[in-house]
Amino acid sequence: MNVQFKKGVLELCVLVVLCRRDYYGYELVHTISENIDIAEGTIYPLLRRLTKEEYFTTYLRESEEGPSRKYYQITEKGQTYKEQLLSEWNHFVSSVHNLIREEESA
Amino acid sequence: MNKEQFLSQLKRSLSGIPEQEKKEILYDYEEHFRSGLENGQEEEEIARSLGNPRVLGKSYRIESLLDKERGGNRASNIIRAVLASLSLGFLNVIITVPLFSGLFAGLVSLWAGAVSLALSGVAVIAGLILQPLFPASIGLGGVSIPFLIFAGIGTGALGLLSVIGMWKLSQLFFRMTAKYVQFNVRIIKKQEVKS
Repeated sequence: MNVQFKKGVLELCVLVVLCRRDYYGYELVHTISENIDIAEGTIYPLLRRLTKEEYFTTYLRESEEGPSRKYYQITEKGQTYKEQLLSEWNHFVSSVHNLIREEESA
Repeated sequence: MNKEQFLSQLKRSLSGIPEQEKKEILYDYEEHFRSGLENGQEEEEIARSLGNPRVLGKSYRIESLLDKERGGNRASNIIRAVLASLSLGFLNVIITVPLFSGLFAGLVSLWAGAVSLALSGVAVIAGLILQPLFPASIGLGGVSIPFLIFAGIGTGALGLLSVIGMWKLSQLFFRMTAKYVQFNVRIIKKQEVKS
C-alpha cells in the first residue's frame, strides 16, 4: 500500500486507539502493528507531532516492573479531531465501495 | 542491529535538532526497547520491527523544519516587526507627515476658494433679487443689471464646478492616504510572518 496513504490512516488509528484509554508507547505501537503492517518506529514521530498539536498530553507513571513509562492521553481537541478524521474516512470508504459496486454491476 | 547501534544511528541522524528535543526523542525509543525486553523480545527483533533509524531521523528533521517555518521563533518576529514599524515611523515623521500636512492644508484652502466662489455667485443673484426691496442698503455700483445676472450665474456655476472638482480631489487624497496606511500595515505584518 502507498506509504503516504498508510501514514494518514495511521494517524486515525492512533487517535481511535487512544480514545479507548491511555496507552504507553510500546503498548500502543503493538496494538497498532498487530493489525497494520508498518515500521513500528514511525508511530513515535506521529505521537510526538500530535502531542505538539495538543491532541494528546503525556504523563509518566511507574510500571510494576520498575521504570516509569510515558503514557499518552487524548485531549478534548484530539477527540474532536478524531471525529472529523473518522467521518472523512467513512465518507472515503463508502465512496470507494460505491465505485467498486458500480464497476461490478456494469 | 542491537539497541546500542539503533540508538546511535538515530542520534546521528537527528543532527540539527535542538539538544532537548533530541533527548526526548531518544527517550521514546529507549523506553520502547526497555518495554520490549520486558516482554521477552530480543534487541535485534525490536530494532528490526522499529524500522530504519535513519529514515526515522529524517522524519523528525522534516517535522522540526516545518515547526520553524510555522514561526517557532516568536520573540525575534516581534522584534523585527517593531524595528520595521520604527524605521517606517522614521520615514513617516521625516517625509510623510510634512508632505501629508502640506497637501492637507492645500486641500483645505482650495476648498475654501471653491466654496467662496460658489457663495459669491449666489450672493450676486440674491443681491439682485433683494435690491428693489432694500434700495438703500444694496447698491448696484453703476453696473448694468443684465451684466450682473450673467456675472452672478457665471460665478456661481464656476464655484459649483470647483466644489465638484474639490470633491473628487478630496476622494483621491483620502484614497491615497488609506493606501499608504495599508502599505505601512502590510510591511509590518510581513515582518511578522517571516521567521
